[in-house]
Amino acid sequence: MGFWKRLFFGDHTKLEDRQPNDTKKEPKQPSSAKLSANIDYLMNEFNRTSDLKIRILKKGNAALLYFESLVDQEKVQEAIFKPIELGDVEDISNLPHSKETLNLEEAITTLLRGHAIYMEDGSRKISQFKVTSSFNRSPEEPANEKVVRGSHDGFVENMMININLIRKRIENRDLNVKYFKLGKKTNTNVAVIYLDGVADPEIVQQIETRMKDISADMIHSPGYVEEFIEDQTFSPFPQMLNTERPDRAVANLMEGRVAILTEGSPTTLIAPSTFFMFYQASDDYNMRWYTGTFVRLIRLASFIIAIGLPAFYIAVVGFHFEVIPDDLVIPVKSSINEIAYPPIMEAFVMVVIIELIREAGIRLPQPIGQTIGIVGGLVIGDAVVRAGLVSNLMVIVVALTAIASFVVPSNELSTTLRLLTFPLIILAGTLGFVGIVFGFLFILIHLSRLESFGVPYFSPVSPLRIKDLKDTFIRVPLYKMNERPKDSHAIQTEAVGPSREWKKREKTGKPQTIESGTNQTTGGDQSVSSDSSSE
Amino acid sequence: MQTQIGVGILSLPYELHLKAKQDGWISLVIGAAILTIVLFVLWGIAKQFPEKDFFQINDVIFTKWPGRAISLFYVLYFMAVSVLIVLLFTRLISLWVLPNTPFWILAFLLIFVCLYLANAGLLIIARFYTMVSFLLLLLIVLTIYSLQEIHLMYLLPVGESGLGKIMSGVPEAMMSFLGFFVSLVFFSKVEGKSKDKLKIMLAAHLFVLVYYLFTVAVTYMFFSTEELRLVPEPLLYMLKSFELPIVARVDLFFVSIWVVSVATSFTTYIYMAGLGVKHIFNKKSSPIIHFILCLLIFVGATLIGYDMGKMNRFGEIIVGIGLGATVAFPFLMFPIVWLVKRMKGKGAGQA
Repeated sequence: MGFWKRLFFGDHTKLEDRQPNDTKKEPKQPSSAKLSANIDYLMNEFNRTSDLKIRILKKGNAALLYFESLVDQEKVQEAIFKPIELGDVEDISNLPHSKETLNLEEAITTLLRGHAIYMEDGSRKISQFKVTSSFNRSPEEPANEKVVRGSHDGFVENMMININLIRKRIENRDLNVKYFKLGKKTNTNVAVIYLDGVADPEIVQQIETRMKDISADMIHSPGYVEEFIEDQTFSPFPQMLNTERPDRAVANLMEGRVAILTEGSPTTLIAPSTFFMFYQASDDYNMRWYTGTFVRLIRLASFIIAIGLPAFYIAVVGFHFEVIPDDLVIPVKSSINEIAYPPIMEAFVMVVIIELIREAGIRLPQPIGQTIGIVGGLVIGDAVVRAGLVSNLMVIVVALTAIASFVVPSNELSTTLRLLTFPLIILAGTLGFVGIVFGFLFILIHLSRLESFGVPYFSPVSPLRIKDLKDTFIRVPLYKMNERPKDSHAIQTEAVGPSREWKKREKTGKPQTIESGTNQTTGGDQSVSSDSSSE
Repeated sequence: MQTQIGVGILSLPYELHLKAKQDGWISLVIGAAILTIVLFVLWGIAKQFPEKDFFQINDVIFTKWPGRAISLFYVLYFMAVSVLIVLLFTRLISLWVLPNTPFWILAFLLIFVCLYLANAGLLIIARFYTMVSFLLLLLIVLTIYSLQEIHLMYLLPVGESGLGKIMSGVPEAMMSFLGFFVSLVFFSKVEGKSKDKLKIMLAAHLFVLVYYLFTVAVTYMFFSTEELRLVPEPLLYMLKSFELPIVARVDLFFVSIWVVSVATSFTTYIYMAGLGVKHIFNKKSSPIIHFILCLLIFVGATLIGYDMGKMNRFGEIIVGIGLGATVAFPFLMFPIVWLVKRMKGKGAGQA
């Protein structure tokens, strides 16, 4: 019946299963009608690996092949053998949910994806069954990007679940997902996601061409992708935002940016990104906007503290003692006087100790990690001062710096900041304030020179765009953020229309005008009054 | 705009005062007024060739080789100014902040950072300048802090030192505005209508004038006429005397921020010189040119070093050339531009 229906009513182009990737260029190896020849070919291609399981059925006339390690045994039972047992179909090759091919190379890729294939002697047809097993972590909140309020789910290692998390949040037909297979040997799935009509097509295009240029054996994490496609690999600043939070990814997608997901890693790359994006946290948008602004300012102040405070202290102590007000001179001087080493040495020792403690704390199991923190922080800190190796002021300064560098919501930027401390310490130790100023000048020039996918990295400060400052240093109320920031090059600029018109109406007493049926909850009284006013 | 508020700001009041006593601020206003006219002339020239930068204009109106010679002269002039900036900068830093640091380290730092910026191209330079112009506000705030101790009395009597003396202060005042010449060089590189550009130029000019006037007035009112004769950098001395509750020496911070504006003006001159060289020798890659220029500037500056006598003589020569090159020359250029344009127009009409 289906055949006749299609003959009379359907279109006559040959329909095929949609493949995530273009299969035309892939090699082809036609299957043979001989079962043994097919099996030999497959066994050779897989180098006789031990976990390729071959089950001979029908007294040697048919075979079911699958990778034991990739396949869920229960699913095999459920999908292939159960219908036969129940007598729904007589033959495995007739099972309706199988996908058929005549190409052995295709069978190889599907086998690797965790499918089972069924072949019969005397037929070239290969039936493929999806019986993949997958082990998924539940989408828990990422440990490195915790928020107090807001959604508590996070990306996981399975890309499909990640895309699901994004699609659930943006129910829009314009949300576009493009798959890439990267890594010549590993064949890692990478997805590029953007909102069509909002994201700048040029940037999307650029990201795609850069991705296609990647020619590496292995794409093992988003860090690989990042280093292959970012503009300046020699810059200390990260040029793509890494996040494990779906809400953060979605917010950036809505601003017209592009997200890059990699199979096997919960980290999503966001491009193009700007410096100030690293200082935004999802928390900010769930607070009162005053508090949001306050927290933002604290975070940005932490940037200055993190890279400048030790340098400033060293410059003051080493060169410009006269900057300290009179009352403070004696306590400062007395604490430094007994230290044998110059302040620059003290700073180096302390900063390195802090880094050691941090790194040790990460690698150790959690209970011991905390112990290390306490031993390192309290015991060593106290002992070092008592032993007269480091002045207690320096301990305060370095501890503050370390805390300030952890305030940044992004881990990459936080490491960058701690790295930048060192050159500034050296400059301050040799040239005092002048050195610091030149150091900062150099960093600022570098930041203004940096571009992320054609977008100035330090915008909206340089180039200055006052309008976009409302989501950088401060966070204005959400209904005031009516335009997308220019740095994402969004082609559709308006993001929030007039949303608080009810306030004006309350004042003027004008009724609500119902637009396109969206405001269905408006009471009957209002619609009546609007009728009367129109009359 | 940044270029204008360059090195001069700190010692300007002193130099003005040498010439015109307490009426120095009048010289400043007169100088600014003259420069406004010059600015209009520059605008008139640049408007005729909206697509060409200064060096290309030279080519057109003076024909190829003389035009190039003039361009070369300007390149040398820009480089000389850069050297002067380096000299003034290092001298001030060594006097105020780092008395023991050898000359070449400071010069190297300044040149290195500016080279990095100049290589980034005009767009980035412009972005950077707009960002750091906020620091000027900080400088103003620091100066405002001193307002509590000024005495209007010191400005009186107005006009006491006589017209001649006031006029003799004018060149000194104009010297500090020398950065205005940038507008001619970069005129074609900036997008926008020529009228808008004129407005921006005038606004920048006005801002600089107000800023200078403010600092000069504040320092004049802070120090008496007798004191001012003794202090070469009155602004810094004034700030030094204050003590904020948190920090004791405001002047050190002032110098630190001032370094930024020095760096910006230095970068501009390197970039302009680089532009000229690029044009004269028909070269494309600017990083190498900038590098060579910076090397020359560095060598030139080290030859003079901390030597005050040499430096003052050098400075005087530069001021003289600067006045000629940037004030007198445009007046000379303007009628020629006009003539060339008319002749060309006629030729085109006949053909």
